[in-house]
Amino acid sequence: MNGSSYSSALTLAAGAVLVCAVAILWLASIRSVIKMVATQGIALGLVAVVLGVHLRDAGLLAAAAVVIAVKGVAIPLLLGRASGGDSGSRESRPLVNVPASLVASAALIVLAFVTGRSVARFVGTTAGALVPIGLATLLIGFFVLVARRRPTFQIVGLLMVDNGIALTAFLCTAGFPFLIELGVSFDVLLGVVVLMVLSQRLRIEFGDIDLDELRELHD
Amino acid sequence: MTPALLVATALAGLAASLAGAVTPDRLRIRVSTSLTIGACGCALIAGINILHSGHPAVVHTTALMPLSGFSLALDRFGALFVVISAVVGICALVFRLGYIGHGLGSRTASCILPLFVTTLLLVPAASNVTTFLFLWELMAITSLLLVLTDHAHRGEVQVAAQWYAVMTQLGAAALILGLVLLATRTGSQSFAVIALRSAHLPTWVRSTAFVLALVGFGSKAGAVPLHVWLPRAHPEAPGPVSALMSAAMVNLGVYGIVRVGMGLLGGGPTWWWLLVMFLGALSAMFGSLHSATSRDLKRLLAYSTTDNVGLMLLGVGASGLFASTGHRALAVVALVAALLHVVFHAVFKGSLFLSASSVQQATGSTDLDGLGGLLQRMPVSGPIFLVGGLAIAALPPFCGFVSEWLLLQSMLHGLPSSDVAIAVAMPIGVGVLALTGGLTAFTFAKAIGIGLLGLPRTDGAERATEVRRPMWVGAGLLALLCLVFGVAPFLVIPAVVDAAGVVTRFHSAGALTHGWQIGLPGVPGMLAPGLLALGLLVCTGLVALARGLVRRSPVRLTEAWGCGRELQTARMEYTATSFGEPLTRVFEDVLNPSRDIDASHIAESRYYTEAAVIHTSLEDAFERHLYRPADRGFQRWGALARRVPNGSVHRYLAFGLVALIIVLVVLA
Amino acid sequence: MNSSWSYVSIAAVSLLQVMLVLLGGPLLLGLMRKVRCRMEGRVGPPIRQPLLDLRKLAGRERTRPEHTSWVFPLAPVVLVATTLVVAAIAPLLATNPAFGWSADLFAVVFLFLLGSVSLALGALDTGTAFGGMGASRAMTIGALAEPALLVAILALSVPAHSSNLPAIITRSLAHPAWLATPQRVLALVAFVIVIIAESGRLPVDNPSTHLELTMIHEAMVLEYAGPDLALVKLAESMRLVVLLTLLADLFIPWGIATAPGPSHLAVALVATVGKVALLGVALAAFEVTVAKLRLFRVPELLAGAFVLAILAVLSALVVP
Repeated sequence: MNGSSYSSALTLAAGAVLVCAVAILWLASIRSVIKMVATQGIALGLVAVVLGVHLRDAGLLAAAAVVIAVKGVAIPLLLGRASGGDSGSRESRPLVNVPASLVASAALIVLAFVTGRSVARFVGTTAGALVPIGLATLLIGFFVLVARRRPTFQIVGLLMVDNGIALTAFLCTAGFPFLIELGVSFDVLLGVVVLMVLSQRLRIEFGDIDLDELRELHD
Repeated sequence: MTPALLVATALAGLAASLAGAVTPDRLRIRVSTSLTIGACGCALIAGINILHSGHPAVVHTTALMPLSGFSLALDRFGALFVVISAVVGICALVFRLGYIGHGLGSRTASCILPLFVTTLLLVPAASNVTTFLFLWELMAITSLLLVLTDHAHRGEVQVAAQWYAVMTQLGAAALILGLVLLATRTGSQSFAVIALRSAHLPTWVRSTAFVLALVGFGSKAGAVPLHVWLPRAHPEAPGPVSALMSAAMVNLGVYGIVRVGMGLLGGGPTWWWLLVMFLGALSAMFGSLHSATSRDLKRLLAYSTTDNVGLMLLGVGASGLFASTGHRALAVVALVAALLHVVFHAVFKGSLFLSASSVQQATGSTDLDGLGGLLQRMPVSGPIFLVGGLAIAALPPFCGFVSEWLLLQSMLHGLPSSDVAIAVAMPIGVGVLALTGGLTAFTFAKAIGIGLLGLPRTDGAERATEVRRPMWVGAGLLALLCLVFGVAPFLVIPAVVDAAGVVTRFHSAGALTHGWQIGLPGVPGMLAPGLLALGLLVCTGLVALARGLVRRSPVRLTEAWGCGRELQTARMEYTATSFGEPLTRVFEDVLNPSRDIDASHIAESRYYTEAAVIHTSLEDAFERHLYRPADRGFQRWGALARRVPNGSVHRYLAFGLVALIIVLVVLA
Repeated sequence: MNSSWSYVSIAAVSLLQVMLVLLGGPLLLGLMRKVRCRMEGRVGPPIRQPLLDLRKLAGRERTRPEHTSWVFPLAPVVLVATTLVVAAIAPLLATNPAFGWSADLFAVVFLFLLGSVSLALGALDTGTAFGGMGASRAMTIGALAEPALLVAILALSVPAHSSNLPAIITRSLAHPAWLATPQRVLALVAFVIVIIAESGRLPVDNPSTHLELTMIHEAMVLEYAGPDLALVKLAESMRLVVLLTLLADLFIPWGIATAPGPSHLAVALVATVGKVALLGVALAAFEVTVAKLRLFRVPELLAGAFVLAILAVLSALVVP
């Protein structure tokens, strides 16, 4: 793969990740949000594939396969099944309304680019220049955690945070060693399962509920 | 070959830990302990190799920690501490083979004890910041878990473990800050590189790093005022663990201070070492006073550890003081004295803690007020305890005498001096050494006399029998070393001199030992401990012979003089509290003992007392005046802060996001 | 080591020192008792009475309380042995006894401490209240006397740049003007107080009291009888004579033998006996004039000795 097609393919894939992130912030229906998360996972896997083909690293390709399998397919399937019986599948009143959250996401992207510049310069490679995208995904994922009420959306936010970290890792250092990537993926899988079980029980106990109404969590 | 031995140590330790987790009940203790003894053996051979040859052994791998690499480089100074930990480890593990109960046979304990021992063996070998901190934290966590092994049965264990956990983490935080400061400022994590570049750092960086390291390592060593966890955690830990903690773990605190202060920072201004000497003097006096007035045997030994650490710090501080004023040869002598005290303290304190655990196993208690008459009921463990007690009281012919003499000599030869700091610090240092020496002799006359001699004061002591063989073999090996090192210190001193030379980067011209004598290079003054021992033995034999010749008839057993009373019972004996009472009264202002008397009167008249109960207690002054107010302050602050989180998950998450944004802004 | 001393003369010196201490100790005690009695207007027992007492005790039966262990009979032996070792190697008569090069002042202190601790352990082994009381009091006083003692030794060692006894004495002989400095006087006073405390004389302890509750040293040895008691009394007298001889040799060193030869040794013998007798008489006269201190006033006395010793060391800075 020659230089320019490599860099454009990479930019495309990484950009797709960020676009999915912003879209999740814009969409309200659970089903579409889950589809977006799946797309984001697949885009992440594609980044790893492009890197792996360019660097001829089999480990990276294996890691890409794991990422696509877990984050692109398995987790969205689980999420979809969990929220299958979800009647109120729309986020009716987010904590921060949609226009305001889109403005906030723009601010976070700017912050990510400003702070990521020094890291990009330090890493130096073509891939390194795209590190701010990973940071931006992370920040937007965190924002989703803060700004959405329903537990399922918060799981999605967590997933986005993890995708951002993984993207940054792939771009900086050509990924973690395969073993660690496997471990991290299973971590995330396990976390999602646990969170889903918790939110199921919440729903059984209290019905469709805003997380903020559970205030017994303070001292 | 030596790097391979280091790797073998780590692997054996991990194997032992795994074995402890998976082997079935009957074999578990034997298999995991044998593997751990193997690890100690490898480390011992590696350490001795390096002490002989002087070439550091290097092991470096990036597989475990990708960013910085896991790197070990054992030089002579570190090798000394590895050898100490290995010897104490072997004896404690042999002891463990016979030790039942206290939860030490469980899967968790058998899995974690080998890890603890392995970290004790590897910390002195760590040669970059990440490896050091990783091993240090692992050591802290494993020792905490080991302290907790009996928590299901006794509530005090949990309190002790809480204190230990908090103080360890406070110390670790200070340590991380200090080491990371050094690493970032010099641009490298490797100790060797930091040592080369630290001379060019600004003074405030060096001083801050030193003070932080002093706080961190001082809390691990048990120096005042960060010592409060010692007398709580050591008594609650099981026998072999408390021996390892006191005889191997606290040494690493002293190792750290010397390594950072002299090795990495290359010595510093006078005020650093005056601070170290001040802390050492305070620890020595405070520790010896509290051990002299303590009635629980293990608590007594724990405070005595604080006392001895104070003496070590006194020696280290004197060494740094001499180095910073230009007397480098004397600095080496003072450091040799301090390191020799480290070695000998490990030997006799390890033996004492193991014997105390034997006593606890045989009688069920460590309260001195309830022991007595054990020398006849435990014919092997009793004399072992006696030897340990005489050694720690710095009496000839045992090893404590040699290190105490050397410490005194190093202070003596600092005078006369034109430097005011030295001229004032040395006499005070000698005074402190003398006072703690006298108080230690008092303390162990009390511990031996009341614990081992006389009549048994409770049923538990009455029914005591000798403990199982592995237990007294483990304790006895260390006691034997006390005697051997006391008679033939030339076995140890050259290695210590080489180790001190490595870290002070000064190799003195004359040797410290000539055959059986110890002399100081360049000045008159010698000691021949072997000769003194021989003389004592010969004179004792002659006098006993003379006594035997003078009167041939056998000794008649009689009743003791009682001033007209009928029977002699154990109630009439002095207890540890009463033995320590004159001293408590002399030091009343410092100790502040509290005394409550509850008297109940008969119904008919208030003037006649029916029964009276007296409660006396001695609280640690630092706990009362420093820690409890700090604790109350924290609780008040916490109550204030509690109003902020109102239970909303989103608010908590928002806090996290804001924090992350602030960090990013700062970094940009 | 001075090569003009042959091995024979060195051995002879040590042997002579040991004999001097063994015989001179009881005689010194007898002398002191005689002086006290005379000052109190009585005739008193003859000077050799303590030797006769020792012979009497040696012929008596040995007894032992029933439940004591092997520590009880070993303690008096160790006590005497430590004092014997000091007597053999310390420069009492000459600057070159056997192994004199290893006679370190700090080592002497620790050897005496070993003796005290063993006696305290023997007392605790009896399991009586008196044994515990005596041991507790004796060890407290010993612990508090240590700082004064070691700092006073520091004051003496600093000018000689060594704590080696022959070195200190040789230097005193070479620089007599040094002996009148305030440093020496302060160290002398501190030493005297500590010697009184260590050997159990008035005003710290009354060796001839019969009231158990006022005893310190005597309470530790209530259970010893026969040869054991003889050993204890002998050790007490030996310790006093060794301490007084060391005091004399450190502060008034003239007369000590610095070269081998019977004439030097004879002079040394006469000089030492004279000096020690004088000190003993002075001590006995002092004892007649003071009363025993309350036990809890003794730490104040010892703290005062400590302050004097510290002043002695610090004055070396001001007056070089």
